[in-house]
Amino acid sequence: MTQLMMQYLSPLLIVAFGIVLSLLLIAWRRSQKLILHFTLAIFVCALLSSISLVSNTIDAVQITALIKGDNYAYIAFILILLVSMVVGFLSSSWLRHSVEVHDEFFVLLQLVVLGSGVVVMSDHFAALFLGFELLSIALVGMVGYSRGSKYGVESAFKYLVLSATASSFMLLGIAFVYSQSGSLSFSVDAFSIAVNGQLYFVGFLLFIVGVAFKLSLAPFHFWTPDVYQGAPTSVTLLLATVSKVAMFVVLMKYWFSQSSLLADSASNVHTLVSILAILSMLTGNFLALKQQNIKRLLAYSSIAHMGYLLMVLLVVFPQSVHLAWQSALFYLIAYVIATISLFIALQLSEGKNANTTLDGEQAISDWQGMFWHNRVLALLIIVAILSLAGIPLTAGFIGKFYVLNTAVQAQQWWLITTLIVGSGIGLFYYLKIIFTLFDGVNQEQSMYLTNAVVPTELSPVVNLSVILIILAGVILGVYPDIVSQML
Amino acid sequence: MNITLVMCSLLLGGLLAWYAEGIKKHSARWLALLTVLLLCFYFVISVTSAGLDFSELQILIRLPWITSFNIEYTLALDYLSLVLVLLTLFLSVVCILISWQEIQNKTGFYYFNLLASIAGIIGVFTAMDMFLFFFFWEVMLLPMTALIAIWGHENKHFAAIKFFIFTQVSSLIMLVAIIAMATIHFQQTDQVSFFYQDWLVIELPLSVSTYLMLGFFIAFAVKLPLVPVHSWLPDAHTQAPTAGSVLLAGVLLKTGAYGLIRFVLQLFPLASMDFAPIAATLGIVSILYGAKMAFAQQDFKRLVAYSSISHMGFVILALFSFNAIAYQGVVLTLVAHGLSSAALFSLAGMIYSRIHTRNLSQMGGFWRSAPRMGGFALAFVAAAFGLPGLANFVAEFLSLIGAYQRFPLLTILAAFGLIASTIYGMVLFQSAFQGETQENKQRKSIGKNKVQDFTKENLVTDLSKRELLVFSSLLALLIILGFYPNIVLMFFQIPELTLVFNTVGE
Repeated sequence: MTQLMMQYLSPLLIVAFGIVLSLLLIAWRRSQKLILHFTLAIFVCALLSSISLVSNTIDAVQITALIKGDNYAYIAFILILLVSMVVGFLSSSWLRHSVEVHDEFFVLLQLVVLGSGVVVMSDHFAALFLGFELLSIALVGMVGYSRGSKYGVESAFKYLVLSATASSFMLLGIAFVYSQSGSLSFSVDAFSIAVNGQLYFVGFLLFIVGVAFKLSLAPFHFWTPDVYQGAPTSVTLLLATVSKVAMFVVLMKYWFSQSSLLADSASNVHTLVSILAILSMLTGNFLALKQQNIKRLLAYSSIAHMGYLLMVLLVVFPQSVHLAWQSALFYLIAYVIATISLFIALQLSEGKNANTTLDGEQAISDWQGMFWHNRVLALLIIVAILSLAGIPLTAGFIGKFYVLNTAVQAQQWWLITTLIVGSGIGLFYYLKIIFTLFDGVNQEQSMYLTNAVVPTELSPVVNLSVILIILAGVILGVYPDIVSQML
Repeated sequence: MNITLVMCSLLLGGLLAWYAEGIKKHSARWLALLTVLLLCFYFVISVTSAGLDFSELQILIRLPWITSFNIEYTLALDYLSLVLVLLTLFLSVVCILISWQEIQNKTGFYYFNLLASIAGIIGVFTAMDMFLFFFFWEVMLLPMTALIAIWGHENKHFAAIKFFIFTQVSSLIMLVAIIAMATIHFQQTDQVSFFYQDWLVIELPLSVSTYLMLGFFIAFAVKLPLVPVHSWLPDAHTQAPTAGSVLLAGVLLKTGAYGLIRFVLQLFPLASMDFAPIAATLGIVSILYGAKMAFAQQDFKRLVAYSSISHMGFVILALFSFNAIAYQGVVLTLVAHGLSSAALFSLAGMIYSRIHTRNLSQMGGFWRSAPRMGGFALAFVAAAFGLPGLANFVAEFLSLIGAYQRFPLLTILAAFGLIASTIYGMVLFQSAFQGETQENKQRKSIGKNKVQDFTKENLVTDLSKRELLVFSSLLALLIILGFYPNIVLMFFQIPELTLVFNTVGE
C-alpha cells in the first residue's frame, strides 16, 4: 500500500479508527456529551480529509482491488458526513430527555457512516456487500433505538427482515453476475470475457432488487412509510439521506462500468429501469396525497424523488455519463439539504412534547400558522418544500434542471412526461404544507395548541444554523456554480 | 438604464415595507407606493435619456451566470417589452392604491409579496436568456400564489393550488422544450446556449420544431388563457384580493401573450404557421365560450374573469393571422385590456368593500347613492365592450381587420364576440347600478312595498378621493389611447415580426 493509497483511504481510516477509540472512550468514561463531541470531531476530521481529496486533480485512485477513490465518491462521502453531523446534533437533543447514557447510539452512527463510506468507494462486489451489511445492521439498531415508543420495535423488525431479504437477493444476484463475468470487480473488460446475456441479466435483476429496496423504489417501497414513522426522527433522517445517497452512488458506479456487459439485453434493462422509475414517481406522489403525518408524507415523497433520480441512469451516449453523474450528485445534494431542513424542523417542533417525540405522530396541522410565530423555522420549511417541489430560487430546481437535461439528451420522453405529471401531483401536497404554515390560527385553536409544538423562540446557535441551511438551499438555487464546478 | 436595479429596489422596497409595518402601522403602504413611484420615474427618465433605438432588441446587460450550462444573465428591451413594463409599473401603482384600505392584516408581508411579484413580472418581460426567462416566469408565481392563498376570499386555498398547478405543469413542459432547444443548439454548434438571439438562427426540421413550438405554446396558452386550459382563471380571479385580480388580469395574462409574440412566433415561424388554423380556432372558441360563460355568471368578479378569457381570444386570433395590422391590434389589446380589466376588478373590489358580496343578485340601484361610481362603471364597461372612443375599440378593430385577411370566416364569428360582450357588459352594469336597491327588493318580498326611505346604513358610499384618482387616471388613459392610439402604435409601425410575415407570403 503506497502513500498515495493511504492518503486516498484516509477518510475511511479516520472513521474506522474513530469507532475503536469511541469504544475505548466508553470503557473509560460514560458521558453523552463527551461521546457526542468525540463523534463530531471524528466526522470533522474525515470531512476535512475528503475535502482535500476532492480538489486534487488526480482522477481516481485504485486502492487495492476492493476500493476506488474518485471524485464522485468523495463528494458523496462529504454529503454523508455532513448529514451525519446534523444527525448527531439532532439526536443529542432528543436523547437528553431520557435518563440513560446513550453512548451506543453514537457508535452506531459512526458505523453507519463507515458502512456508507465503504459502499460509495467500493469498486468490487465484496466491498459493496460488506459496506451494505455494515450500514444495514447498524441502522437496524438505530431504528429500534427508542424501544419504549409505540412503533419502535415493529419498525425495527420490519426493517431487519426486509433488509435481510434484500441482501440475500443481492447476494444471489452477485453470484449470477460472477458466474458470467468471472470477476467480482466492477471494472471488467467487456471484450475479454464471453458473457451469456441471459444469466447476466438475471443476476443484474436480482442485484437491482436489493438496491431498489434500499432506495425504496416502487414496488419495493412498502417498508418505507412505516419505518420512517416508527424510527426516531434523527434516524429517519439518516435513512432518508445517508443510505439512499450511498446506494444510489454505488448503483451508478456499477451501472456505468458494467453496462457494456448488458449490451445484449440493453433495451430490456432500460425498460426495466424506466418501469421502476415511472412506478416510483407515480406511487410516491399519489400515496403522499392523503398523508396527514409529516414523516409518512416525506417517506412517500422520497419514493417519488428516487424515481426522478433514476432517470439519470438511462443515458444513451457515453459522453453523457459525466453529465449523468453531475445531475445525480447535484440532485442528491439538493434533496439532502431539503430533507435535512425538514427533519430539523420536525425535531425542533417536536420540542418539549415527549409524547409526540416517542410516537412520531406529528401531523401537518401541527405546523399551522407557524409563519406568524416562528418565521425562521417556517422559512426553513418553505425553502425545503419548494426545493423538493423543484421551484426556482431553490437548489431543487437546479437539480431537476440537471435531471431533465440528462433525460432530454437521452430522449426519454415517457419518463419526462411522467416526471411532469408526478411533479404536478406533488404540488398538491407540497403546497398544502406551505399553506398550513400561513394559515391563521384562531383563538380557540391556539388555546388548544399552546401545549404542543411550534416553539416561538430558538436558541441563537440553532437559529444561526437554521439560517445557514436556508441560505445553502437558496444560494445553490441561485448560483449553483459554487457546487457544480466541483462535480 | 438598469433593469436589475429596478427589480432589486422593488424587492428591497418590499422587504423594507414588511419590516417597517412592524414598527409603525400603515407605513408599509406608503413605502410601497413611494418605491413604485420612484421607480416609475427612474424608468421613464432612463428610457428617454438612454438614446437607444428600441425598435430592435437592445441588450442592456449580459453576464455569465451558470457557467456549466453557459447560462447568462441577459436583460434586453425593445418597444414591446418597454410598453409592457410601463403597463406593469402603472398598474402596480393602481394595485397599491386599491389595497390601501382593503388589506388589514399581515399588511407588511402583503406589500412585500405585491412588490416581489411585480419584480418577477418585469423580469419576465426583459429576460433574454431562456433559462433566466423561465426563472422569472416561475418566480413571479410564488408571491402571486401567496397573495391569493393568504389574502384571498373564502375558497382561497383551492384557487391558489389550482392556479399554481396549472401554471407549474405547463411551464415544466416549456422547460423541457427549452432544454431540448439548448440541446439542439449544442448538436449544431458544439456549444450549449440559452441565449435568445442564438436560438433565432438554429435550423430546425419542421417535425421537431412543431413539438418544441407546442411545448412553448401550451405554457403561454395556459397563462393567456386559452379555452381548454382556462379553468384556473375564474377561480383565481374570484378568490384573489382585489390587487391580485388586477395584477393577474392586467399583467400576468399579458406575459402569456408576450411569450407567444416573442418566442413562439419568432423561434418557430414555420411551425406556428402550420399551427395557425388550430390556434385561431381555439381563439374563436375562447371568444365565444368566454362571452357565453360571462353572461351566465352571478359573481361580479367571475363575470369579468370570463370576459378576460373572451378578450384574450382576440389576441390569439390576431397573432396567428400573421399580419402587421393585426399585430398592432394585439399590442394595443394588451394595453387596453390591461387597463380596462384592471378598472373593472378595482370596481369589484370597491363594491365588495362596501357591501361584502360579489353576488350580482344582491346588488342593484347603486346609482342613486353612488352616481360617480356608476358613471365610471358605465365608462369601463363600455370600454370592455369596445365603444368607439375608448382604447379597446381601436384594438379590437385592428385585430379583426388584420385577422380577416387570413381567416375571414373565423373573424366573422369573432365579431359576434363583440356583440356578446355588449350584452354581458350591460347585464353587469344594470344589475349593479340600476334597478331596485337591495333594500327595496327585500321590502317587496316581505310585502311592505312602496317604502322609499333609505336608512343611512343601506347607502352605498360614493368614491373616495383615492378611488377617484385611480379611476380617473385609468379612464383618462383609456380615452387618450382611444382617440390617439398612435402613442402606442407608432412604435410598432415597422412590425417586429417582419421576417415572419414575409415568410408567410400571400
